[in-house]
Amino acid sequence: METELRTLWTAIVCYVLGGAWAIGGLVLKKRAERWVLGFIVAGWLLHTVALGLRWERLGQGPFVTLFEILSSNIWSLVLVFAISYWRLPAVRPSAAVVMPILFVMMGWLMLSSPGEVHFPRSFRTPWLYIHVGLGKVFLGAMLVAVGQAGVIQLRRTARGSGWFQRLPDDRRLDELAYRYMALALIFNGLMLVAGAIWAQDAWGRYWAWDPLETWAFITWLLLAAALHLRVTYRLTPRLSSAMAFAVFGLAFLTFFGVPFVSSRPHQGTF
Amino acid sequence: MDELLSLPQRLLRAAASLKLTLLGLLLLGITTVLVYTRQESATPWLAGPLLLLALNLVAAVASNKVFRRQLPLLVFHLALIVLVLLAAIGRLTYLKGQAELTEGAAFQGLTVREAGPLHSGALEQLHFIHEGFDIRYLPGPVLDSNQARLRWEDTQGRMQSGTIEPNQPLVLRGYRIYPTSNKGFAPVFVWQAHQREPLLLSVHLPSYPANALSQAQTWQPPGASEALWVLLPVAADLIPADRPSRFALPKEQRLVLRRGDKRYEMQPGERLELGDGTLAYRGLSTWMGYRVFYDWTIPWMLAACAVALTSMGLHFWRKFGDQPWQASSA
Repeated sequence: METELRTLWTAIVCYVLGGAWAIGGLVLKKRAERWVLGFIVAGWLLHTVALGLRWERLGQGPFVTLFEILSSNIWSLVLVFAISYWRLPAVRPSAAVVMPILFVMMGWLMLSSPGEVHFPRSFRTPWLYIHVGLGKVFLGAMLVAVGQAGVIQLRRTARGSGWFQRLPDDRRLDELAYRYMALALIFNGLMLVAGAIWAQDAWGRYWAWDPLETWAFITWLLLAAALHLRVTYRLTPRLSSAMAFAVFGLAFLTFFGVPFVSSRPHQGTF
Repeated sequence: MDELLSLPQRLLRAAASLKLTLLGLLLLGITTVLVYTRQESATPWLAGPLLLLALNLVAAVASNKVFRRQLPLLVFHLALIVLVLLAAIGRLTYLKGQAELTEGAAFQGLTVREAGPLHSGALEQLHFIHEGFDIRYLPGPVLDSNQARLRWEDTQGRMQSGTIEPNQPLVLRGYRIYPTSNKGFAPVFVWQAHQREPLLLSVHLPSYPANALSQAQTWQPPGASEALWVLLPVAADLIPADRPSRFALPKEQRLVLRRGDKRYEMQPGERLELGDGTLAYRGLSTWMGYRVFYDWTIPWMLAACAVALTSMGLHFWRKFGDQPWQASSA
């Protein structure tokens, strides 16, 4: 366990260095993209090793405790963001927005207990991996959208406007955020369907309005409403980006709040 | 321009409004929160917003040229309408219930039943026998696995046997039968009331180990004048906390019975004269709770979801061909 935690903390140090480089490069107006991506990828590789060591030691994936859920989601969020960072130059400066969000999660991870708990019998199904995997893509897509939304909001200040000067204009960034939100809507829908199939097999019902189901559905509704609002009222990028923050905030609370404030997040889970 | 439209056209346009879609989504969100917080049946709460959204969608499909130009968008929205219709039909025809079966006993109906008003399934044609279970615990004790052995008659009338567990239900004539963690001990008696045929009966004691400290049940044998209170004293370490174990019958199977102010003790094989009949204690067995679920719309709903999400993906794929942010970002 010690090796596993040391590897994880080293990964976090790499992530922090990547984030610090991104913020520093922005403030000092120096291009540090290779360093940023290098640190993020190095951190992600170490994080993969840490998760693999834990999986090997416990014989079960990181799906149950707060520590495991935070760690595996940081891993998947970094992966989605790193791919976007690599493929889309327009996304890169948003690392200064995205990484601090991940820092909050990393801080929370460091404060949570790394102890293990029993793997519930209802988790022994391939649908767990499908459901969780789809959920991770959904949250990752929302994180990238929030990165663009954050850039648009920061540009409202004189300083922020200077930092993100060389990026495309707000409307184009908003278009990019919109596309990630559309992707998020599809993957959120897929996550709900996969979860319903799993629930039917595991607990004999596909939907029971338990806390996680309910809040995941409300997140889907809010996301659908945000996309409709954009079309109906032709929202300004500022308003549109505020909607992205609202959806991400709700999704964040659903992923990391509901399972740990509700005694039974999924009825019959434990 | 609106002034040139007839009243029905204006109504159709109003019903197809995207603003109405937003109102519908908002109402659906509010009612979802209400269902969640009030813990009430979702159907009456959600019916209104879903109906509003369905009407809005039908009106939009009928009047909005965008849907005719963009086939995937049309298919996505039609699949959503189908999904809502299937969910509504499912609520009319579903069934869910619970049954408790003693080891070796055949299913004879549900003890708890909830069904839609139009449920016309074949529950009475379900023939399956509970042949026992294998439940394992990890230290704690924590439930590790839960398997039930069943024998059942398939749709061709042949007897089949197998093991089911929470992720692998038995699907029989559209009914899905799941084992639950609800299980316990069942003393088996032969009860013969005066001048009546003897009956083989079992008493399901409260679920174990959830109710380990209250393994007692009040039971009135058929034709008896007074109820019996039946207690099975169970040793505290039957399912040890410090090592893996399995659910097993206790070695000591003595029962304590009370009737009025009289107290009796019985060992397996013993008989008891109770004035209005004779009670013979055959031995201790187990019972298990089953969950039964029926909803024929499930595979169709899954198909509708698959069509909806695929067409939505296709719609966005086509729509997002250009990349306006690339030009000035290099």
